[in-house]
Amino acid sequence: MRRISQEPSVIITLAILVGLMLAFIVYPQVQVVLVPGLNGYVEFLAGQTWVKPLFNSLQVMCLSTTTAVILGFIYAYAMVYSKMPFKPFFRVIGVLPLLSPPFVVAASYILLFGPRGMISYYVFGQSPNILGLGGLWGVQTIAFFPLAYQLIADVLSRSDARMEQAARNLGAGPWQVFRTITLPMTRPGLLAAILTTAIYIVEDFGNPALIAGQFTVLPTQAYGLISGFGDVTGAAVVSTILLLIALVLYLAKTRIEGQRSYVTISGRAGTIPRPPVPMVVNLFCFIACSLLAILILMVYGVLFVSAIVEVFPVKWTPTFKHFEFLTSNITPLRNTLLYGTSAAIICALFAMLLGFLVQRREWRGKRIVDFIAIMPAAIPGIFFGIGYATAFNQRWLDWIDRGALITLSMIFWNIPVGYQAAMAGLQQIDRSLDDAATSLGASSLRAFRDILFPLLDSALLTGFVTAFVRAVTTLSVVIFLFTPSTTVATIKIFQLVNDFMWGGATAFTVSVVGVAVLVLVFVWTLSGRRVGLQRAS
Amino acid sequence: MDKLQTSPLRLENVTKRFGSVVAVERVSLEIPRGSFTTLLGPSGCGKTTLLRLIAGFYELDEGHIYLDDKPIDDVPTHLRGTAMVFQDYALWPHMTVYDNIAYGLRMSKTPPAEIDQRVHETMQLVEMPTDFLKRRPTELSGGQQQRVALARALIVRPRVLLLDEPLSNLDAKVRQRLRLEIRSLQRRIGITTIYVTHDQEEALSMSDIVVVMNQGRVVQVGKPEEIYRRPGTAFVAEFLGVSNVLRGEVAEDGKAVRVAGTHIPYAGVPGHAVTVVFKADEVEPVTTDVQVNDRVVIEGEVLEAFFFGAVYRHFVNVAGNTILVDCPARLETQHVRLAIPRDKVLIYSET
Repeated sequence: MRRISQEPSVIITLAILVGLMLAFIVYPQVQVVLVPGLNGYVEFLAGQTWVKPLFNSLQVMCLSTTTAVILGFIYAYAMVYSKMPFKPFFRVIGVLPLLSPPFVVAASYILLFGPRGMISYYVFGQSPNILGLGGLWGVQTIAFFPLAYQLIADVLSRSDARMEQAARNLGAGPWQVFRTITLPMTRPGLLAAILTTAIYIVEDFGNPALIAGQFTVLPTQAYGLISGFGDVTGAAVVSTILLLIALVLYLAKTRIEGQRSYVTISGRAGTIPRPPVPMVVNLFCFIACSLLAILILMVYGVLFVSAIVEVFPVKWTPTFKHFEFLTSNITPLRNTLLYGTSAAIICALFAMLLGFLVQRREWRGKRIVDFIAIMPAAIPGIFFGIGYATAFNQRWLDWIDRGALITLSMIFWNIPVGYQAAMAGLQQIDRSLDDAATSLGASSLRAFRDILFPLLDSALLTGFVTAFVRAVTTLSVVIFLFTPSTTVATIKIFQLVNDFMWGGATAFTVSVVGVAVLVLVFVWTLSGRRVGLQRAS
Repeated sequence: MDKLQTSPLRLENVTKRFGSVVAVERVSLEIPRGSFTTLLGPSGCGKTTLLRLIAGFYELDEGHIYLDDKPIDDVPTHLRGTAMVFQDYALWPHMTVYDNIAYGLRMSKTPPAEIDQRVHETMQLVEMPTDFLKRRPTELSGGQQQRVALARALIVRPRVLLLDEPLSNLDAKVRQRLRLEIRSLQRRIGITTIYVTHDQEEALSMSDIVVVMNQGRVVQVGKPEEIYRRPGTAFVAEFLGVSNVLRGEVAEDGKAVRVAGTHIPYAGVPGHAVTVVFKADEVEPVTTDVQVNDRVVIEGEVLEAFFFGAVYRHFVNVAGNTILVDCPARLETQHVRLAIPRDKVLIYSET
């Protein structure tokens, strides 16, 4: 691989990229860890207020991850292995939850099963207290099993069908093939998927904030300490504990992924079909997926209905008044679009150029920069948000526009998804293509522009779409950064739900999901459906 | 195309490491102006690494590379004038054939009219019809793609043309034809050319100079005939053809080598291990058992015989060693007596 010492333009570009990453990824995070000081840590840790939330966090992480992974696995197995009907429908249903803020599940749950819920009160006449562990567990299961499904389906579909056919060919039955071939081959990938799901669940802020009540977990404690007591020190300590949990999970995941994994990367394994599974398995898959799809449809259906009737579930008169409320409060939605779009574009371009320099050139410190680019994937949103708040909420930085700061946080929090999309795309393009350009007189950056950039269009779009969706659905990253004029839709929804203004909240939710769907469909058409969502992993 | 400005190349102690692996070790070479030089060796011998060092895709760890007697160690790739043709063609799928070929001239800011003229000239040079110019590389056959790749490199009039196993992805017929065309094209325009291959036939038939490499080092440099007839080491001999390689040792009197149940006159240190090499087609069946001075006679049992078209290839067991014997006629008896001219038997003392 080529070293960069001969080309000043490459060195300058790299210096700028790394400088920005140091300023907007490393510096804020170091700030959070350092802000309490040694005394702050000792005092806060001695107070022991963090013990219960820590325990709660770990408890709900274990419970929710288990159930979410089981449901996700069934859904994924059905999608990859079974011959059940309506697969395209189930595929769309499985993507839908990724296009919305996770905490809308909690909102929907309250509308259905809350004290005045459609089913609990108006069907069964009960007014249950759903706040607490039980409610959170249920909500996170539903909110995150689609993620588990996506991750697991990805692993399963990359296991080589030829290996399974070979085993069938030698006399193994479907169950034996699954047990002796499929599972052992995909085990590292499956474990990694479980750990990734666990990270998302333990970092989740919106759901516990809405539904956990007195059952405080680390992210809600950190938020409460700042918003209720202005206790930045405490919040920093709490979110550092949360970061440690996420880091341990993340390092375990990368270790497992580093082990031998027998799935193909190229995706060329699909040249022969997978061995068929028994009819009864097909039937079971179909029933299970139908039930899960109904559940998801209910979650989103309720939100949609609530947005178009007077008062859900009391007055069912259709009305546009919630959307009128939305149009008279259009700023948050406009901001979401503006910040999300600009962040996603910059993020995808930034990550692509960085990916090029890391993958195609040799320079000292490359591994550290690679690590920094991946790091935000392991950083809890709430930690990232507190980092930006402590690092950039300073008088001498007042000239920075708050909208720009929110955009920056969205850019750098999403660098890993763009970066991984870029690296995956670059691996598909043989080095000789850009070497050919440089040997004919193009400089490194020119070769990147003329050859790699056009060939990486689908990786670029993948990075863009994913960063966009994540940017417009995040709550925890931006919750400490907004001002009245720079509110984004997720924050507005969160506030409205807290104020029980369900009509407005659901109208906003429907709009955000609608925008995300539109962007995805637009990019799909633009790229001829070659683009998918990149999972941050 | 007019005769172009082409340059001699000199390598001096060129070394490249990847981690703890030494890919190219202290290679020194003189590559004369206008010559066709082939780097030949098995995969992993460092030949492609060496070519990439010349192109500037890798940076040297030690040593120097001189082009026109000027060091180019610190000249970035795109300013070296060492255009490369790649094994997998490396044509850009998002550009037309025209844009592919014109790319290098656009980089040097050549006026469009001149680009257009030279693109057409170069297409003629590589014998491609100009109506291919509007097509995409993916619509071309492998052979046509490699012609375009050749045109794309030639059009910039590089000081040295680098070819990295350009024919190995093509089927046998196309490969044979392009081999000849590349060679005659190179003769016509007189460009200094460095060609990498693992195919000894390609190397022998195309080159002015063959550089045999093994394990990162240059083993032998010479004209094709020299290399073929007088391989400098057992490795070269074995790599260059279907050869029999036997282990033997110098007899106690230091005047002969004991190998495969026979003695061959040879002066050496008693007990010293040697490698004995001879080609399968130098072996002849004989009927007399007379040991003649200028011949080595051995005896063995025929194990198998296969028809190869021009020859029958026999596997013969000689005192526990299996050797290959190529004869125009099939050996009829099981027990055979074989003779090899003494000057065709190469003996290398082990170091």
